[in-house]
Amino acid sequence: MSNLWFLYLFFSALLIFIGIYCLLTMRNLIKLFIAIEIISKGVSLAIVATGAVNNNVLLAQSLAITYIVIEVCLVATALALIINIYKKNKSLDVRLLSKLKG
Amino acid sequence: MAIQIILLCGLIIFSVLAILLKDLIKAALSLAVASLFLGIIFFLLAAPYAGVFEISVVAGLITVLFVLTIALTKKDGEVKESRIVHLAFPIFFILFIVIDGLVMKSLLQKIPVLPIGPEAGTFGEVLWKQRTFDLVAQIGIILAGVLAVLALFRKKEEDKDE
Repeated sequence: MSNLWFLYLFFSALLIFIGIYCLLTMRNLIKLFIAIEIISKGVSLAIVATGAVNNNVLLAQSLAITYIVIEVCLVATALALIINIYKKNKSLDVRLLSKLKG
Repeated sequence: MAIQIILLCGLIIFSVLAILLKDLIKAALSLAVASLFLGIIFFLLAAPYAGVFEISVVAGLITVLFVLTIALTKKDGEVKESRIVHLAFPIFFILFIVIDGLVMKSLLQKIPVLPIGPEAGTFGEVLWKQRTFDLVAQIGIILAGVLAVLALFRKKEEDKDE
């Protein structure tokens, strides 16, 4: 069972790597939030897999559900922010945000 | 075991597609398919409620939000990504797979497995009795999210008042 746990941890680390690579290199704001989604998938996979392997799947499920709710609120707020940024800058380029003053 | 590995590989492939595809709609749909794979993995891990939430909320609701945002910003929203990013990704990815594999292999026997306690009750009891404060926090976060979205789209009315 322990081997299975490391298999899941291996894949969740891969997901987190894909997300971090995208966060560090891409310029499109929507792509950056897709990257955040991918990282959160990796984290929730690690939570549920650890719970399942250690016979604590009910607790892990409730934590995963809390995590999903937080994720949805984050994405809704972030996408509203992106639309506002687009209205102001007419672009989704993240580099334009560094020009903001204040 | 084989089914789980296939599902995990599918999850990784669609996640990679989600960041590498240039068309944002296709990227958002790839993300939805990745969520679907994750939901099925949750079902296989005996976590059906988490699977249902993953498929309905993440694969459904978040994809709709992404597609809506992409549709609203499509006119001038295209950003040219650097070509080096796409070319360098396979190298870094393979490098990370090797490092990740080596690290996991070295950790395989060293990390003590957490003590296994027999889990009593049903999912409802755990969620409503043990994690009550989580639910209160969830309600707070949902309210905060709704208020944040309302605040962000309130600007035009303020402009009219001025």
